[in-house]
Amino acid sequence: MTLASLVFAFFCIITIIVYFIVPKKIQWFVLLIASLFFLFYNNFSWQTVCQASIILLTSYFIGRKLEKYQNTKKAKWFLLLGCLIIIGLLGYLKYTNFFLNTIKHFLSLFHISFKFKKVTRTTLVGLSYYSLIMISYLVDIYRGKNKSEKNIFKLALFMSYFPILSSGPFVRFSEMKENLFKKHKLNYKALCNGLIRILWGVFKILVISERLAMFVNTVYSDINQFNGFYLILAALMFTLQLYTNFSGSIDIIMGVSEIIGIPLPENFTAPFFSRSITELWRNWHITLGAWLKDYIFYPLLKSDFMQKINTISKKKLGKKIGKKVPLYLSMLIMWLCIGIWHGGAYTYVIGSGLLQFIYIFFEDNLASLANKVYQKLHIKTDTFSFKLYQIIRTYLLFSFSMIFFRAPSVKTALKIIQGMFVFNPWILLDNKSLFTAGLDLLDFRVLIISLIALFIVEYLSTKGKVREKLAQQNIVFRWSILYLLIFAIIIFGCYGVGYDPATFIYEQF
Amino acid sequence: MTKEEIYERLNHVFQDIFDDESITVNADTTADDIEDWDSLEHINLIVAIEQEFNMKFNMNEVTSMKNVGEMVDIILSRTK
Repeated sequence: MTLASLVFAFFCIITIIVYFIVPKKIQWFVLLIASLFFLFYNNFSWQTVCQASIILLTSYFIGRKLEKYQNTKKAKWFLLLGCLIIIGLLGYLKYTNFFLNTIKHFLSLFHISFKFKKVTRTTLVGLSYYSLIMISYLVDIYRGKNKSEKNIFKLALFMSYFPILSSGPFVRFSEMKENLFKKHKLNYKALCNGLIRILWGVFKILVISERLAMFVNTVYSDINQFNGFYLILAALMFTLQLYTNFSGSIDIIMGVSEIIGIPLPENFTAPFFSRSITELWRNWHITLGAWLKDYIFYPLLKSDFMQKINTISKKKLGKKIGKKVPLYLSMLIMWLCIGIWHGGAYTYVIGSGLLQFIYIFFEDNLASLANKVYQKLHIKTDTFSFKLYQIIRTYLLFSFSMIFFRAPSVKTALKIIQGMFVFNPWILLDNKSLFTAGLDLLDFRVLIISLIALFIVEYLSTKGKVREKLAQQNIVFRWSILYLLIFAIIIFGCYGVGYDPATFIYEQF
Repeated sequence: MTKEEIYERLNHVFQDIFDDESITVNADTTADDIEDWDSLEHINLIVAIEQEFNMKFNMNEVTSMKNVGEMVDIILSRTK
């Protein structure tokens, strides 16, 4: 079930109506039924039921044991067992091919041939999300941050809460449990705010993202014909396509959950106003970053192994440089994890992992040198023009890494980069070449106007909550904006023939 | 160990980690007061304190301490 679809809208309306008319005591149970329906909507089979059950039962029983044996050695073993089962299952279901492929490449270095058949396994929507969410549930009990849930059905709801299944955000049990099982009354303000957010999300997906996708898909489907500036434009557009698709879906999810009465943590805060890649990642997929920091990066950095490396590197390289060694090593491991989490392919490992690490590494190490150069050349760094330069530079670097993310293979990605060097800027000017790649003049006009609207809203969001500002305006203005959004979606939304709107990019993860 | 002793030893750890002899900490000192105290340096600091006092913080404490005062309370409870 895709988020920007009538089926999902219908599903949400029914769920919300039933949720608010049943006795308040069983409201959470309605959410559980709806969530299970959503979870198994596409793939209901004994295998998928088994997958979900293994993760749920593991989390439930290990969680109980962790609480019982807290602060003992046994707890450590139970935690390890729980994490191994969940990660093992995730690996088995999603990464078998990636794993075998890596072995194959490794063995080929020694001229040993290794053949394997690609396996395809049916997985449930959101597997990568709820696996990590349940790991954080277990680790938090181990760390004494929250108690284990005694009611397995309540835990099942936490695991499968439908709004977060398809694209996050990552939530923690401690921040969800109160609202998830609380009795809720329909709140008019939350309903209005939620609806606006949903509409804005649908607008982002159907009007902007899907339109960008038409161009990007056309160019990427034939990179020999569409080279040079077509490829450059497609790379720049894909970053925006990914963002509007992903953040639009998050808007829909947050809106639905807000109406139900369960606020979710923000996942994006205007990432394209970031002046460095480091800053961009603080504003992009925020909850994934926080998850990795709490459950991989910090524990890794604090581990005995890294501390040993710390001692050795400080001795060999001096204190200042030495202490950076374990830091970068932990960072590298974390970024590789991010890459692998995005999918079992080298394109993700490079695009959303390795390249990001390299950017951040250089940003961190060249900062003081760059400052010295700016001072020598008398370049003012607190001016609008300099900030704009930094924003554009960040966008270009990020778009470059996303070429790998989008391309079907590393080979193709390299070919695309090579193809960008064909010099053909006239395609932008000759009034027809540009329109051969999936979008006509009207599409481009709609796109430019919508992107300006997006840019303005994003800018305003950095200054405060846009919806609250909107609520302060006169009723005529508020309704005009609302109608404008609705009509823009109806008239300018991209619904191809026999085409399911917005097969959500992040859903595959 | 008294609180004063803990602060005394903490000062040395802070001075060493942040390479600044002038640092003295008190209960209200937070990451905002020391320029280089970011989330990464925080981990180095925690590990150095663990070694100094021969104790361990759990991960929850590492991420939830609000100021040096809370840090000292934890150290005090562990080293009793």
